[in-house]
Amino acid sequence: MPGRRWITTIISLGHAAQTFLITINSKVQHYHLFPKSLGDVLTTYKVKELHLSQTQGLWKHEKWGYPPEDAPPGDELWVWFQPHSGVDQTWADLVNALSGLFCASLNFMDSKSTVQPRWSFRPAGLASEFYSANSRFVRYSTLPREVVCTENLTPWKKLLPCGSKIGLASLLNSVKIYDGFYHSLGVHVRSVCQDTQCLTPATELKQTLTVVYDPTTNKNGKQDWSFQSMFDRTLQSQCPLADTRKIYVDVTTQETLPKFSLSPVPDFVLNQKRSGEERKIAVYQIGNHLSPSSLNLKAMYEEKLTFSNSSLPPVYANRFVTGYGLERGGVTCMIYNTMSSNTTVIFMETVPWFLRVYFSSLRIENDGKEIKPYKINFIPAKDRANPYQMELVFRLFANSVTKITYSFERAFLKWTEYPPDANHGFYVSSAVVSTVLPVASQYTATSQSVSLLEESFSDSSSSFFLRLHTETLLVSLPTPDFSMPYNVICLACTVVAIAFGSLHNLTTRDFTASDPSKRKGLVAKLKSFFKKEKESPENKPDSKEEEIPSQKDKDNSKSEEKDSKKKDGNSET
Amino acid sequence: MAAPMVHFYFQLIAFAFLHQCAGTSPEEFFKSGHTNNWAVLVDTSRFWFNYRHVANVLSIYRSCKRLGIPDSRIILMVADDMACNPRNPRPATVFNNANNQINVYGDDVEVDYRGYEVTVENFIRVLTGRLPPSTPRSKRLLSDEHSNVLVYMTGHGGDGFLKFQDAEEISNVELADAFEQMWQKRRYHEVFFMIDTCQAESMFQKFYSPNILAVASSKVGEDSLSHHVDPSIGVYVIDRYTYYALEFLETVTPGSKKTMGQFLEVCPKYQCISTVAKRTDLFRRDVNKVLLTDFFGSVRNVELLPDSIHLQNATLHTHSEDSSYVKSDKPLNYAQQFPMPV
Repeated sequence: MPGRRWITTIISLGHAAQTFLITINSKVQHYHLFPKSLGDVLTTYKVKELHLSQTQGLWKHEKWGYPPEDAPPGDELWVWFQPHSGVDQTWADLVNALSGLFCASLNFMDSKSTVQPRWSFRPAGLASEFYSANSRFVRYSTLPREVVCTENLTPWKKLLPCGSKIGLASLLNSVKIYDGFYHSLGVHVRSVCQDTQCLTPATELKQTLTVVYDPTTNKNGKQDWSFQSMFDRTLQSQCPLADTRKIYVDVTTQETLPKFSLSPVPDFVLNQKRSGEERKIAVYQIGNHLSPSSLNLKAMYEEKLTFSNSSLPPVYANRFVTGYGLERGGVTCMIYNTMSSNTTVIFMETVPWFLRVYFSSLRIENDGKEIKPYKINFIPAKDRANPYQMELVFRLFANSVTKITYSFERAFLKWTEYPPDANHGFYVSSAVVSTVLPVASQYTATSQSVSLLEESFSDSSSSFFLRLHTETLLVSLPTPDFSMPYNVICLACTVVAIAFGSLHNLTTRDFTASDPSKRKGLVAKLKSFFKKEKESPENKPDSKEEEIPSQKDKDNSKSEEKDSKKKDGNSET
Repeated sequence: MAAPMVHFYFQLIAFAFLHQCAGTSPEEFFKSGHTNNWAVLVDTSRFWFNYRHVANVLSIYRSCKRLGIPDSRIILMVADDMACNPRNPRPATVFNNANNQINVYGDDVEVDYRGYEVTVENFIRVLTGRLPPSTPRSKRLLSDEHSNVLVYMTGHGGDGFLKFQDAEEISNVELADAFEQMWQKRRYHEVFFMIDTCQAESMFQKFYSPNILAVASSKVGEDSLSHHVDPSIGVYVIDRYTYYALEFLETVTPGSKKTMGQFLEVCPKYQCISTVAKRTDLFRRDVNKVLLTDFFGSVRNVELLPDSIHLQNATLHTHSEDSSYVKSDKPLNYAQQFPMPV
């Protein structure tokens, strides 16, 4: 049927990274495959494109190359809206609706952490030149602290047409998925061409789940993996609603070291040719392997894992905090270009308002020489309203490291603005590095004009758009001691008690000299103490009248005698 | 007046319908008086050493779901993430027993308020319904005057207060006022308030709204104690009261005839060490005749209306005005992703 396709694929990138790529292509009005809950949200809030990723862990570009969809740690959401007025209010309403849909605290993506990127996040689907050049309709925000757990996987699974009961999604065992190094859920909605003429757009929903395991921790040092070991389940069914149901395994290194064999034998092996890189992909049609028993895809390695220097990707980046103390600090980002050609890069940073960035301290250096950026977009922050937004366009020279540095000053927050675990620190979102690669070295993303992974295997283009995210930063702010009020009360009360008590005693007690010869021994003191205890009920009302001169009769004179004895006792002890 | 007459007329029709369908007699249908069940389950503690509070609230969540209350009717507030915490040696699981028999976190959990969203303000807003207009449905307590609401709270508490996330507190006066607001706005038929904290009894002492049945794990002046430590995690995994309450609830099935009276007797002093306190004076019915599933399960009784109601689909109209699916005369292009000269 026109405009309705559904593909499920799972690819293995040869280093225990599995990606589930599930793509639905349909018109939004028809909710046969497209989930109605998401469709309703998209139409109500006039969303043209939506990209949400929920990630835990850091993707190590140096070791693992490029994932099909790059995502920063935590939650990242960027949306292109249909042209209308009041986009800020629509954005606020949209993040609330999405927070209910995905069980994530997306409602914290308010104006304090939202920016409008000018060059970095252009629409990924169909859009006119005029529309995409206007950053009025785009909003970008991240939550670096956000946790991703089963309660996020559950709504993601519920968006799938076949749910989680049959098909590839039945493999998704949360206990195993969240045991990995890295896991990332992605929901990407964009408009695509329906046919080659491209006169009517269709909406494409792509759901991705990328997980990185370490198989060597299970077996005897060998990198063997299988569905049973990774998911604790085998594939028992396929979703009848899908048009294409395939599993792709990257077998480029199958003949070279490390050698491994796949079981069952793949249906056929495709050659993926992209400029500068050739890969061999083994393809499984799920339907062929489900009978007689379920599909348990296995890869068996002949030798134990030996670590070797893998080839570095063309461009990768590292970012970290510098400086010491709680007043000032700096951020340094190193971008490495291992290619032999120069390339232009767009570097985007979003810094929260409480790390006051000094724009004058911004420096881009390559091998000690300063580089002047081609373009800069810097929007300073407004306290408690907007974050710092920085986009730099500059040239990365071949085979070199470019260092971007800037310094900041830490602000004092109001005491109500600290989170309950203030001593943990505050997060700064990932920087985004966008560039175009001339070669598809270690590049696995699908190209822009296609939806199926298979369609991008024979990509003849010579430019590959790459977006990568750096690490997030954890910065301590000067945090007050929240136990201080309690301590202050204790201290103040103690001081008052000692000072006031001493003064009171000095001013109200009457000191009389005692006769040393009348000193009693210990036994005699004890005896007199017990005697006083017995007589105390009679003495009590009179003892209160010590200070008040009473004109009473003989009864009191007796008690006065006793009182004087008591006073003596007091002054002696 | 016309209204009472119409109301009376309605009831007659409803009666007539009922007699014809099912086998339920009108007395049985109106006996409990509620038509839907809601649950508001709150864990107020943060940090790894408060693992047991998350296990507490997830145990009750599991029981509610098992006995029939759907996720759309449960508002689960968990202040910190234990399942995917880096210190959890068994990711995506929360066990309430060192023997790891039941993973109370499960595979199908939906947490509505998580992390920093669990605040006193949000809790009271959920109860009273005074939420900002953009709040999604899953975060709203959409109860009406025929709803039985189960409210379960756990965390660290004291005499007259309950601590939220180590940063703020809710007092028993505020809580009582919140329930009164609910009563005034007809947001509940009956409430079962369950609390498992230290000196928990103090939290329901100030209630003054009708139809509230309350049980607490300890009296004023007593501390509620935890049950046991899981040596592989190094923290306590469950509190005593919730542990024995869960033991009782695990024996309950959706069709069970067990009563609230039996549930209120759960965890005597030799098991709980603290004294379980209860408050039944505001509750109109006899607790020994109230079914446990009135609060923990979900009622499927249906109100029949003779009229049909046409619902307006608000989004349909915007569809027809949506210009993005109109055929264009020129072929569309993909946006250029890298707007700079390469």
